[in-house]
Order: sequence, then structure tokens, then C-alpha cells
Amino acid sequence: MILQNLSIKRKLTLITMLTSSMALILSSAGFLIYDLVSFRHLLTQDLMTQAEIIGYNSAGAMEFKDEPAATATLAALTAKEDIVTAVLYRPDGKIFAYYFRGSATLPAYLPSRLQGKGYRFEGGYLEVFHDVTLNGEHVGTLFLQSDMRQWSMRARRYAGILIIFVLVSGLFAFFVSSKLQGLISNPILHLEDTMRMVSANKNYAVRAVKSYGDEIGRLIDGFNTMLSEIQQRDTALQSTNGELKTRTQELEEEIFHRKQTQEELLNAKHAAEEANRAKSTFLANMSHELRTPLNAIIGYSEMLEEETRDSGKIENVQDLRKIQTAGKHLLSLINDVLDLSKIEAGKMVLHLETFEVSQVIEEMVTTLQPAAAKNDNSIHVHLADNVNMMRADITKVRQILFNLLSNACKFTDHGTVSVNVEQIKVEDRDWIQFQVRDNGIGISAKQKENLFQEFAQADASIARKYGGTGLGLAITHRFVQLMKGHIWVESEVGQGAIFTVRLPAQVVIETADSAQPESASKAVPVETKTGLETILVIDDDPSVRDLMSRFLTRMDFHVVAAANGEEGIRLARQVHPLLITLDVVMPDCDGWTVLNRLKSDSELAEIPVIMVTVVDNEAMGLDLGASNYLIKPVDRDRLAVLVEKHRVTRSSTIKDDNPVPLSYVADRQADRQADGKTAGRRVSKTRRN
Amino acid sequence: MQKILLVEDNEMNRDMLSRRLQRRGYCVVTAEDGEKGLLLARSEAPDLILMDISLPAMDGWEVTRLLKANLSTRHIPIIALTAHAMVSDRKKAIEAGCDDYDTKPVDFGRLSEKIENLILEKKLS
Repeated sequence: MILQNLSIKRKLTLITMLTSSMALILSSAGFLIYDLVSFRHLLTQDLMTQAEIIGYNSAGAMEFKDEPAATATLAALTAKEDIVTAVLYRPDGKIFAYYFRGSATLPAYLPSRLQGKGYRFEGGYLEVFHDVTLNGEHVGTLFLQSDMRQWSMRARRYAGILIIFVLVSGLFAFFVSSKLQGLISNPILHLEDTMRMVSANKNYAVRAVKSYGDEIGRLIDGFNTMLSEIQQRDTALQSTNGELKTRTQELEEEIFHRKQTQEELLNAKHAAEEANRAKSTFLANMSHELRTPLNAIIGYSEMLEEETRDSGKIENVQDLRKIQTAGKHLLSLINDVLDLSKIEAGKMVLHLETFEVSQVIEEMVTTLQPAAAKNDNSIHVHLADNVNMMRADITKVRQILFNLLSNACKFTDHGTVSVNVEQIKVEDRDWIQFQVRDNGIGISAKQKENLFQEFAQADASIARKYGGTGLGLAITHRFVQLMKGHIWVESEVGQGAIFTVRLPAQVVIETADSAQPESASKAVPVETKTGLETILVIDDDPSVRDLMSRFLTRMDFHVVAAANGEEGIRLARQVHPLLITLDVVMPDCDGWTVLNRLKSDSELAEIPVIMVTVVDNEAMGLDLGASNYLIKPVDRDRLAVLVEKHRVTRSSTIKDDNPVPLSYVADRQADRQADGKTAGRRVSKTRRN
Repeated sequence: MQKILLVEDNEMNRDMLSRRLQRRGYCVVTAEDGEKGLLLARSEAPDLILMDISLPAMDGWEVTRLLKANLSTRHIPIIALTAHAMVSDRKKAIEAGCDDYDTKPVDFGRLSEKIENLILEKKLS
């Protein structure tokens, strides 16, 4: 394992060295073994030859039992260094003569038994047995023992030489392999160096140097190709990066410029709006300035007319009438301009109240009857059964209808103007849809484009022929928008026109933080006997309820009191009182909410509500439909007057069952200026008259 | 005979309105500015005051406030007359203590109705 982690240089050297040394050792060992084996064989042959010679020489001595001769023969072996023992045995196995090297005594070791001719290796010695014969007769046995001194000396020497040889050649192999391993390792190390350099410096311009055309060379080639590819991509990336940076900078500059432009535009817009506001204010002021002299013109002519009539100069009355009519026309034009400038100045406010649609239609038709008669037109009204009450700004609804109807009458001759009113459901909401249809001169497609624009009459000749400021439809359009409704026209030249106005059945003022009005309840009111004389007091303070009850009872009213809003609304439904006094600050359901719910309930909307509270917000109270607003502590006299007034109003309305009299011609001017309340009061007054 | 105090700076309007009111049978006292109006309201004790709002020096709002703050004159009903047919003016008129409100040029029929109404209310109270 350690080997595997060695550097390639070491590995190569080691492999080369080990391989060559191993081969050398193996071959040398083979040769050595072969040499030693053959040398031993030689030694054996030599010893056996020796034994034959000694056997031959000593055969006579054995035959003749000449022991000294035999011993002498054996003694000749002294010359042979390696023979350590020589023994001559008689055929019966007894020792006849012997020779021992180095000592005169019998050595400890002697063969235990004799054997036939042959040799053997025994305990590091070579032993040879030889039969001594004389003339073919066995006379004894010769035993020779050699310590193979020559062989072991040779073996030792050879081993020494071998070791030296191996060492020297190993050294040489190390030297050579150290030199030659560079062939393989150098390029690899170079490659590694290059790689390290590239990854450390991220410098893809560096290239590895190719030394040979072998596999490593190809590896380096591949590496270089890879590097140049990376370099290319890097360069491309860098240039892209640069481009991106430039582009980002450009974008930033563009954004800056745009912001500047936007700011300039915004400033310009503000300036334009300011200018527009100034224009509107100017127009409003101008209108007021114009109204003052008109005031005198109309007033004096009316007065003169009265005086002239009294003095009997009837011939002047007509002329004075003309002055009045012209003055009133001029006034209506000025009012149109004023209306528009009020809308543009954002000063037009909605006064919502719940009213009967049929009544408004009736009023308008009556009002416009003279205008229709002027061109011999007849007005037809169709009111769908489902049209009942709606909650909106009645003055503006009147004006919308007035404008549409007077236009229809104005641009139609000997024709029919029909009014269609129905309640429809679109997108889950209830709408009241007014449709005014005529068969007059009609409107061309081009004229339609600017129809609802200010100061844009169909064309200049129309102004000369029919008069008007061209503001009527613009104002109508704005009013419809204010009430979140829609207006559109269908017409063709010569085919008459159909103007359709769609208003929510329950108009809601968006900015009001009051709750949404509930849908009008269709419950049948529970009329009580004392209903007309009953006053409902809604207040959470028991002392206030007590005081109000006592005070109003003294004025001959029946008083019902409720301690909270819910109870108040329930009682209002039950007793249908003449009047309700309402506190604002109450737990759970506050006075504003109660007021809103009362006014959005068709059954209860008609009941006048007097706010009696410590909260000083009369504008809100009146906006939500309250009739009067009293701040606690209550001025009793004022309360008495207000309550009495309502008693008078109500009783007069009840006594008089006549429909709206024709004499009630709603002067547009009057309607515009009078808020809903005063208008209502005026209606009742007119009825009384 | 009911007495009406007319506070109005424009001579023609003053003349025209006073003559028409007289024709209706009212006794009319006129003042051309706020201070005179204030004095006449105290000395003449009219049954009703018609108050033009845009008066020189002391405007109609101020005169109304002073009249309503004074014990001897606070019971006199006041109808504000303004050329500003703005909703905010209506609020302002009520806030200043006016009992009713009308815009110029006056619709004489409507104005006389208002006058009758207020005089009736005053009687009842």
C-alpha cells in the first residue's frame, strides 16, 4: 500500500530495479545450482574412482592379512584433503585397517552397517562403499567418507560472487533506471506542474510542452487542446462579461434618464393639473361674477313684470318675459360651466338618499312637457314593475334625465320620445337602467367620438340652430361616472338615438367609512295606531332617554325608546315612527351605522332622523341622510321647533292625497341648488298650497 | 307686519330684493355692510334676516356668528345668501348658525317660501 502512494519517479525506479535484480538473482541462482550439482556429481565420481584405486591397491594386503600395508595404502590419502575417513572392513564386517584425518582415534561416527557398492550423502558428508575383490573374490569392503570441502568452498565463493554481482548490477540498474524513468515520469510531472499552475493562477494561456509522440505526448496534446478550449471560452466569457457590464451601465444610465424624464413628466403633469385647477377655479369665480349682474336682470324683470301687470300695461309683459327667459337661459349655461368646473376641481360631492324612481320620472316628464310640446313631440314613459326605490344623488339623477330628455326633445321634430326604466341584475349587482329613445336627427359615428367631451357639440351649425353650450352630455357623463354608473349611445344619422344610463340601485360613496347599505327590505310596515304620533329615541344613556321621553311626551308625542342600534332598527320597523332621534356614540352598533341602515331601508328611509349627539360632525350626519343635527347638551327650544316642523310636514303630506301637481315644475336651477331635504320639503309645501 | 332685515352690499340687489319683499307685504330694513347690519338687528329687532355672505370688511359669516352669540338677537332666524353654490358653503352656513341657506341669483318664489317657513317656525317656538 505504501508502494502505491510513492511518487511515479520512485515507482518507476523501484519497478525497474526490482525486475532486473530479480531476473539476475534467479538466473544466477539457477546457474549456481546447476554448477554445484554437477560439481558434486564430479566429486562423487572422483571419490568412487579413488575408492576403486584404493580397493585395488589394498586387495592383496587384505588377502594376505597384511595390515600395515593396507594402513600404508590408506595413509596415502593424506594427499586428499577432503577425505576424512577411510576404513577397510573384512568380509565379516570387522575393521581391517583405517585412516582418520587429523586424529589417531576412531571417530565417533562410523556407518552402523555396511552396504553394497554405492554412495550416499549422510550428515553433510559424502560416503562411498566399495567392494574389494581379488580375482573376482570378495575380500572386503572399503568405506570412504569425504566432507566435500571443495564443494562447500566453491559454493561459498560462488555465493559471495553472486552477492557482489547482484549488488553491483542492482546499483547499476538503479542508476540506469533513475536516469531512464525520466522518460516517462518527466512529461507526467510536467503535466502535473502545468495543471497545478493553471488551477492555481487560473491562467489558461499556459501550455504543457510535449516531449515525445507516445501516449503521454498525446495526453499532453489533449490537455493542451482542452486548455485552449477553456481559454477560448474564458475569453469569450470575459468579453461577454465586459459587454454585460457595458450594457448594465448603459441600462443604468437609461434608467437614470428615464427617471429624470419621468420626474419632468410628473412635474409637467402637476403643472398641468395645477393649471387645470386654476382654470376651474377661474371658471367658478367667473361664473359667480356673471351671476351677480344676472341676479339683477332676472330680479328686476320679474319685479317689473309684476308691476306692469298690476298697472295694466299688458303689452310690455311679453317683452319682460323674454328678458326673464333669456336671463334664465344664460343662467343655466353659466350653471353648466360651473358644474363642470366643480367636477373638474374635484368639488362635486354626492348626497345620497333613497327615493322613489317613478316620482323622479314623473317630475322630469312634467318638467319637460313644454319643451316637448314646442317641437310637437310626445313623451311616452314605460316603467317596469320591478323598479321601486333607489339610493343615489337625486339632484344628479334629475339632471341626468333632464339633460337626456331635453336633448331628445330638442333634436326631434314631430316625433316620439320614449323613456324606459327597468331594474336589471348585472354581475350580481342591481342596476336601474334608464333608456331615452327618440326618432330625431340622430348622431353620426364621427360625432359619437366626442359626444361626451366638454364643449363638443355635434358640429358648430348645431349650436347656431339648437343653442346650448355643449356641456349637457359632458356633465351627464361625469355625474354618471361619479355614481359609478355607465352611459352609452346607439344611433345612426336620421334614425334617432338611444341613450342608456345604468346606475347602481344602491350608490355607495367609496370614501365613506360607513358600512355598505343593506339591500332594501321588502317587509310590509307594521302600522300602529299611534304610529304618526310616535317618536323613537335611540340612545344608550338612560338619563338622556328619560329626559327626551318626558320632554317629548309633554309635547303630546308617544315616545318609544331603544338602548342600542339593533333594538332601534327593530322598533323603527315595528312602530314606523314619525321621527327618530339618534345618538352616535353607542356600543356595538354606532349611530352612523344605524343611520346608514335606516336610510338604505326603503321602508324606513322616509322617516326623518335627527342626530342628537356630542360628536361634532354635522357634515357626515347630513351626508348620511340625517334631517337635522343637534349637539348635546340639546337646546330644547330648537328640538321642539324641529319636531313640530316634522309633525306639520307629515300631517300635511298625509292629508293631501293628490299626485304631484303639474305646477311643480322643477326648475333645474332650483333642484341643483337645493339639497334633497329642502327639495323634499318644498314638494310637501307645494302640495299644501 | 313682519319685518325683514336685508344685509346686502350690492345696491341693485338690495334695491330689487327690498322692493319685491315690500310687494309681498313685508317691512324691509336694509343695511349695506356687516356693521350696520349688526346695529340694525339690535335696534330694529327684525323677524328675519337675509344675510349676503360676501360683504366688504366684516363678512356675513362673522356677522351671523356675532348675532347668534348675542342673547338679544340669537332668536332671529337668518337666511344666508351666497353666490357660491358649493356644498361646503351650505355646511359653513349651518356651522355659522344660519337657519337656512340660498344661492344667488335668488329664485324669489323659493326664497319667499323659506322666509315663510322660518317665520312660521319662529312663531311655533
